[in-house]
Amino acid sequence: MTFGTETDDELLALMRSGHEQGFVALYRRRQGAIYRFALQMSGSPAVAEDITQEVFLTLIRDGCGFDPQRGTLSGYLFGIARKLVLRHLERGRSDVALDAEGESSAWPELAVNDDPLADLTHREGVAALRRAVSALPRRYREVVVLCDLEEVDYADAARILGCPIGTVRSRLHRARALLLEKLHQERNFRPAMGAWKPLRCLT
Amino acid sequence: MNCQDFWNTMPELARHGEYSGHLRECTACAALWERQRSLMAGLRAVAAESGHWQASAAVEARLLAEFRSHAGMASGPRFTGPALVWGTLAGWAAAAAVLIALAMFLVSGRQPQLARRSAPAAAEWAAAQTSPDFVLTGDSPYDDGFIPLPNTEGISPTEEVNLVRVEVPRSAMIELGFAVSAERASEPVEAEVALGADGLARAVRFLNE
Repeated sequence: MTFGTETDDELLALMRSGHEQGFVALYRRRQGAIYRFALQMSGSPAVAEDITQEVFLTLIRDGCGFDPQRGTLSGYLFGIARKLVLRHLERGRSDVALDAEGESSAWPELAVNDDPLADLTHREGVAALRRAVSALPRRYREVVVLCDLEEVDYADAARILGCPIGTVRSRLHRARALLLEKLHQERNFRPAMGAWKPLRCLT
Repeated sequence: MNCQDFWNTMPELARHGEYSGHLRECTACAALWERQRSLMAGLRAVAAESGHWQASAAVEARLLAEFRSHAGMASGPRFTGPALVWGTLAGWAAAAAVLIALAMFLVSGRQPQLARRSAPAAAEWAAAQTSPDFVLTGDSPYDDGFIPLPNTEGISPTEEVNLVRVEVPRSAMIELGFAVSAERASEPVEAEVALGADGLARAVRFLNE
């Protein structure tokens, strides 16, 4: 039996009745987005895998408290993932992700073009934008990852984040402004701070 | 529709490719809108590039084993997860590392310093500067040893500041006007970097110049 046209809710019902392929289909449909969200928020593939696993373990073990009246299953899974991410970030508040070894050489030749937006769809531009997203404060990063990268709609995002939809909009607006600001700042700042590549973080 | 109204509804407009007459009337919003469109194209490229990222097959295998166990479809011990085992080991390793580091501090007579400054303390630190705006653009180091980094914004008194301690090559001090001999240029030196609320470095002080 193969699945493709079933809704998430139908797959969940199959899963709850012990249908293994129902669970597998649901997992394969949703795990990528959950993993990417956890990865973009934590910056760690290992943590992202742990969180993805924990999200679906919750689904398996608890029969889960998912209520279709209150939102989509996808939103519910993101909500669990977010709580786990926050728990992880709280544990490691003093952890600071430093640039990977040798990454400075991968930075684009920023002085070549004064407009950092001009090449955002090119490889270096995408990498610079990804770094800018990673450097956003958590509340802005999560809304960008959910709405702009994972295309979660604003109503679901509001439920996931536990805030009004207007807050989602305003955070998204502010987040995009911050991204533009960061891209410009990094363009001007990075070459001057070329020697400022930390050997290691001590905190 | 005024500027505020436009930007309040802009995400939906952007998503559905609709445009507002407001953009024809307001050049400032039109310019910002163009920048946002470029940014959105970039974000779509980021999403496309990372679209294939997913958890490894091992996660699916572990979950499937748990599902079978939970559904009574297979016998055997319940899954506890290798991650949990590794997490426990990592926890003990981290605890051991902290104890060793603490012992080294005590043996060497140094007092451990707080690596992260709390927000109220940071606000006091900022407020203590001579200017109420606390713009880190002076030429000389401040009393607490922090030196503003070039091409950075100042830190406002109410802004939350995080401190990160890092080790950098001594040659990095040259950027900030310190004299560094060639033979010591590659030596590591400890520094505390003040990060603004936007996560960008604003100022630095060297701990063992």
